[in-house]
Amino acid sequence: MEENKENIKETKEKTIEQKKKFSFNYDKHYKKLLLIPVIIMLFSLAYLFYFHSQTGEFIIKDISLSGGTTITLTGDFLDQDLQKLEQDLKAEYGDVSFRRLTESTSGKTLTFVIESHANADELKASIEESIGQELTHENSSTEFSDSALSGNFYRQLIIALIISFILMSVVIFFLFRSFVPSLAVIFAAFSDIVMPLALIDYLGIKISAAGIAAFLMLIGYSVDTDILLTTRALKKQEGTVNQRIYGAFKTGIFMTITALAAVLPAFFIITGLPDSFRQIFFILALGLGADIINTWLTNASIIKWYCEKKGIR
Amino acid sequence: MKISWRIWVLMFALAFSAVAILNISSSYSFLVGVLILSIPFTLTFSKSKTTKIILLSLTVVVLVPIVFFSFQKGVVITSVNSDSVYFAEGLRKGIVITAINGNNIDNVEDYINHLPQTSESQKKIELQTSQGNFIFLTNKTPDIVVSNIPKTNLKTGLDLSGGARAILKPVNATLSQNDIDDLVSVTSNRLNTFGISDVDIRSVSDLEGNKFLRVEVAGITQEDLKELVGQQGKFEAKIGNDTVFVSGEKDVTFVCRNDATCAGIETCQQDSSSGGYFCKFRFSISLSPEAAERHARITQNLTLDQTNSQYLSKKLDLYLDDTLVDSLFIGADLRGAVTTQIQISGSGAGATENEAYDDSLDSMKKLQTILITGSLPYKLEIVKLDSSSPILGKEFTKNIITLGIIVFLIVSILIFIRYKRIKITLGVILTMFSEAVIILGIASIISWNLDAPGIAGIIAGIGVGVNDQIVIIEESVSREATTLKQRIKRALFIIIGAFFTIFVAMLPLFWAGAGLLEGFAFTTIIGITAGILITRPAFTEIMRKIQGE
Repeated sequence: MEENKENIKETKEKTIEQKKKFSFNYDKHYKKLLLIPVIIMLFSLAYLFYFHSQTGEFIIKDISLSGGTTITLTGDFLDQDLQKLEQDLKAEYGDVSFRRLTESTSGKTLTFVIESHANADELKASIEESIGQELTHENSSTEFSDSALSGNFYRQLIIALIISFILMSVVIFFLFRSFVPSLAVIFAAFSDIVMPLALIDYLGIKISAAGIAAFLMLIGYSVDTDILLTTRALKKQEGTVNQRIYGAFKTGIFMTITALAAVLPAFFIITGLPDSFRQIFFILALGLGADIINTWLTNASIIKWYCEKKGIR
Repeated sequence: MKISWRIWVLMFALAFSAVAILNISSSYSFLVGVLILSIPFTLTFSKSKTTKIILLSLTVVVLVPIVFFSFQKGVVITSVNSDSVYFAEGLRKGIVITAINGNNIDNVEDYINHLPQTSESQKKIELQTSQGNFIFLTNKTPDIVVSNIPKTNLKTGLDLSGGARAILKPVNATLSQNDIDDLVSVTSNRLNTFGISDVDIRSVSDLEGNKFLRVEVAGITQEDLKELVGQQGKFEAKIGNDTVFVSGEKDVTFVCRNDATCAGIETCQQDSSSGGYFCKFRFSISLSPEAAERHARITQNLTLDQTNSQYLSKKLDLYLDDTLVDSLFIGADLRGAVTTQIQISGSGAGATENEAYDDSLDSMKKLQTILITGSLPYKLEIVKLDSSSPILGKEFTKNIITLGIIVFLIVSILIFIRYKRIKITLGVILTMFSEAVIILGIASIISWNLDAPGIAGIIAGIGVGVNDQIVIIEESVSREATTLKQRIKRALFIIIGAFFTIFVAMLPLFWAGAGLLEGFAFTTIIGITAGILITRPAFTEIMRKIQGE
């Protein structure tokens, strides 16, 4: 019993010491912490501009944004050997690409997706010829977008993204009514878009219209932890700034963990989902990941700096 | 226990949404609503804890079987051939068939099993329906399509239910809202005349002011949709350069359809050169007096054909969207005659005789449709054409539901691990569940088509809700010296701030991308709004109760 009590006391002292140490280190090093996201951010921006200089675009657009045809085969087609189809189509169309959607629980292939900038009727005819079977509206899904319309969609969605960002910034300024803390939140939101975007381009993943819609949501969704942090740091009176930031961190990181826990099963447990759905969840997952860095390194450091300058204790 | 108005609002919203979602008869709906509302009554008025528990479990025990067994039995009619005896007798889309010849029908399988066999001597079909009994003296399979009665009033989008969608843009024209409305009405009339009733046609405009026409149809092939809406349908019958009549009710007063005496496939032949088959169709139409006059005037000046004196020298040329479809000989006796009866013909082709026959029948039906509904006021261009497989859609729907349940469980477990309080966890579960029910309830009431991005929006909306609840929980369990009221006020500031950022961030999606992503914006916004107005206040109340004890 005695020993046990001793142990508990010891661990308690240890944690207090650790907290003190953390507090001490944080006070000394928080500006250095800010360097990490700044470096990642500079790296991401540099990569995006490099990417733009190479491709002329900031993203790799899928068919829904660049025009062309997506044909999704399902059902009895998938029992066949699709190697021949791939070869035949590759010989005929230069830009054709293939994707398989596999259900992770059963391991069975759910769909085989063929994408090309070709016209729907042409692509369909080529597939039918290669497989020797008719494509019906039961065994296949088709998506055709005219290139002019897709260009229009893309432009529209980018305008929407910009409007969305501006509106979010206005709300943030209205909420906090002080320049630096608001700007810190807005910068964090901007980083939440740029970092995932650079990663997506690096991985060579195509973005669809639904994907850009997911970025719009990210703009609104990712700032809730920043609002939590700023509110706790500036409006709460109890404890030191460090304690308040640490308290906000404990709450905020749990919020992000639950949000990640909600989107990640779509990639590990149930994977047989529509492309639009997967893309939305994928971008949310990357954005939430980036948000951990941008809220707790970038925004927190700026807020602490601000509090120091303003003499907020 | 005193229950504040916040909990009452939540319970009313829940009862209302549950009734809206479930497709059950009105008396059962009433019962479900009353039972849900009895929960807060029980909590308010029963004194002891035991009575509360007994009454609440009783409510659940009664509620569950009611929901499970109150679904309507039978099959619902999804379409009736408008020229059939069944239509004439009053069978319509939406009527529920409960029995055939005295045999109860629970589902489509029963319906097929109990249809009288053609070999049976008894020539009578008696249908018991939601609109009374119908008796038909025949043993032929009824000319109707039926499906199982849906258990909910939820509608799913094309990507989950299958069907086709087209986005059309007027060629070389900027249209006013009036022009667009005209287009919507002619297009929907054309699809209805063709025999498709489940059509969703809307005009959509984008941030740059472009106007599009969006047509969504369940259970149609891409090809049919393309031909029905992609064609302007400018039909002209000309002799030489003179127009005799054009499509539309002004010139064409009647088109014979589904009547073997004046419409049908005439002959099928094998083409000697290609080896394929082609079939010829013909049907008669009636012209208006003015069009008949025109016919008389134009034919008056024609001479007899030199090689075959039975016919006139010029033919009646039929053009569809400026392409020659067919040329018809004009009988010599029709010269200068005011005739209102005209025979229209055309052909279809195929690799086999059956294919040629079907193709010809399909062409005839489309031509008839165009003659009846007239041409569209503007030429439209298909800029997007999608179709999705209903089989794949079903698979996707199943997977999304499973994923939803898994996410629900994971989040509940995480909340329990973090706070180790069963009451708090139950509060979060109740809130997440309520939000899902309320979003689905609203979607049912306004018949919103839930597509995959829309469901992603529901999950995200609930996710935002969970984040808010975490903020409320953390502020309430905090051991600060400040009062609970102050801390909850601070939580509300964070929550309202987060609400407005998501709200404004999603708003532009309603206008971008021809409305194809509005489902995502809609469900998210409904979710967070229901959250801030209904479930968040209730959850705050629950936390106050838990912390107060």
